[in-house]
Amino acid sequence: MRVLDSGLGVSIQDRGRPGWRRFGVPIGGSMDPHAASCANRLLDNDPGAALIELLLQGSRLEMLQDAWIALCGAPIECSIPTWRAYPAQAGEVVSIKKCRSGMWSYLAVEGGFSAKPFFGSASFYGRGNLGTRLSAGSLLERNSSARFHLAAGVSGRVASWEDQRDYASPPRIRVWPGPQWNDFSPADRDTFLTAEWKISPQSDRVGYRLEGPRLPANPPEIVSEPVRLGSVQVPENGQPIITMRDGPTVGGYPKIALIDEEHDLPWVAQARPGETIRFQLIS
Amino acid sequence: MKWRQYGRNAILVKFAESPDEWAFHKCRAMSRALSQKAPATVIEFVPGYTTMLIEFDLSGADPLEKLAGETITFLEEHGRKKVPLGPLHKIPVKYDGPDLARVAKHNGISEERVVKFHTAPVYKVHLLGFAPGFPYLGELHHKLRTPRLDAPRPKVSAGSVAIGGEHTGVYPVDSPGGWNIIGRTNVKIFDPMRAVAPQEEDAFLLKPGDQVQFVSI
Repeated sequence: MRVLDSGLGVSIQDRGRPGWRRFGVPIGGSMDPHAASCANRLLDNDPGAALIELLLQGSRLEMLQDAWIALCGAPIECSIPTWRAYPAQAGEVVSIKKCRSGMWSYLAVEGGFSAKPFFGSASFYGRGNLGTRLSAGSLLERNSSARFHLAAGVSGRVASWEDQRDYASPPRIRVWPGPQWNDFSPADRDTFLTAEWKISPQSDRVGYRLEGPRLPANPPEIVSEPVRLGSVQVPENGQPIITMRDGPTVGGYPKIALIDEEHDLPWVAQARPGETIRFQLIS
Repeated sequence: MKWRQYGRNAILVKFAESPDEWAFHKCRAMSRALSQKAPATVIEFVPGYTTMLIEFDLSGADPLEKLAGETITFLEEHGRKKVPLGPLHKIPVKYDGPDLARVAKHNGISEERVVKFHTAPVYKVHLLGFAPGFPYLGELHHKLRTPRLDAPRPKVSAGSVAIGGEHTGVYPVDSPGGWNIIGRTNVKIFDPMRAVAPQEEDAFLLKPGDQVQFVSI
């Protein structure tokens, strides 16, 4: 496969690189592991196999050989059908014309993509120069000779309706109390749980910024301590920042909450700047 | 030692009250024990100055509270041990950074004094964080403490030697940054090309517990 146009962003991702945070290396990996694992499972790949993460729209990739592929994630106008195994032919161009809601889409190939692993993962992490940077002209190969076959008598394979998420209407996002939950006043904790939080345009794979009522913490800074993926940190301006997959491993801002990583963080990742989310405490 | 739940399967252990020498040695002993013989249910640990994150595999029958209690016992037993310091790295620095004057002015000393105070101590690597291999070094001379910049720079070059508040460190990769840049080094603090399995830790020149001295060139 060849990248013709990287659009608003394409990168190789997989499950990420746990185990290296004490050296300052973030976990990385697919922003929406739910959609990514769906794409892989449609092709009988390991759910954490390397695939291509596509941001919003504008990307175009050309098939250089026949291969089964699967595209899952944000609802997009695309040259191929989504949320299903698709037999692409050499010369065919996968083109993401428009992304109607959500942020991230995932393109898997049978056998997974081949990419050099760093610290056990092929995930691209720009700031640390880890992984392979994709741009127009980049060539991508399949990882193994294992081919995907539809079972005899089956006409297609489609992701279940439950797996095909409607990213335009996220559920209430479930959070755990953060380590500094008690450094916020009861009124501010209540505000955090009842307010509508708008995703700021200054959001990326490192962190999603939220806009809403001001949440002053006392004290406003702490001695730098480890930060988990999905932590809701509150810097001095009182506007929360959610630590995403390429976010720093330690930090000195109080953490009011932690978003449930497995079930709820993928929903947050797919929320767009301007859209709002609301929180609910896990009890 | 106190602990707090931090999500479904993790705890944050508070092992010291302030980020001092005592905390450093305790953290080092705990980290060494965890990397050599951690309880099987510990998936990953991340040290801070006075806290340590411990993540557990909860697929067994035991609830988080039980695993946390066992781990605290483990850390209290091993945290008292004396662990030798890591190797000393001498790092040549050209002290010509854009914020050298700012650090001097803030502390009411000359730029020559800044260099003298910065090169005098043998620093300890308390932890790595912020970016791959970024060392948080201590202790910084009290006449060098300087607040971070009001607006972080969008790009600080790899090799920049900088002061942020009470800390000093070296930027391992190009990244945004708000610390005061006082100099630069050609030494590669982080090089992913050195990360060849099974010696992937070689990507990081400085490891927690190592010692660092800067040499003015």
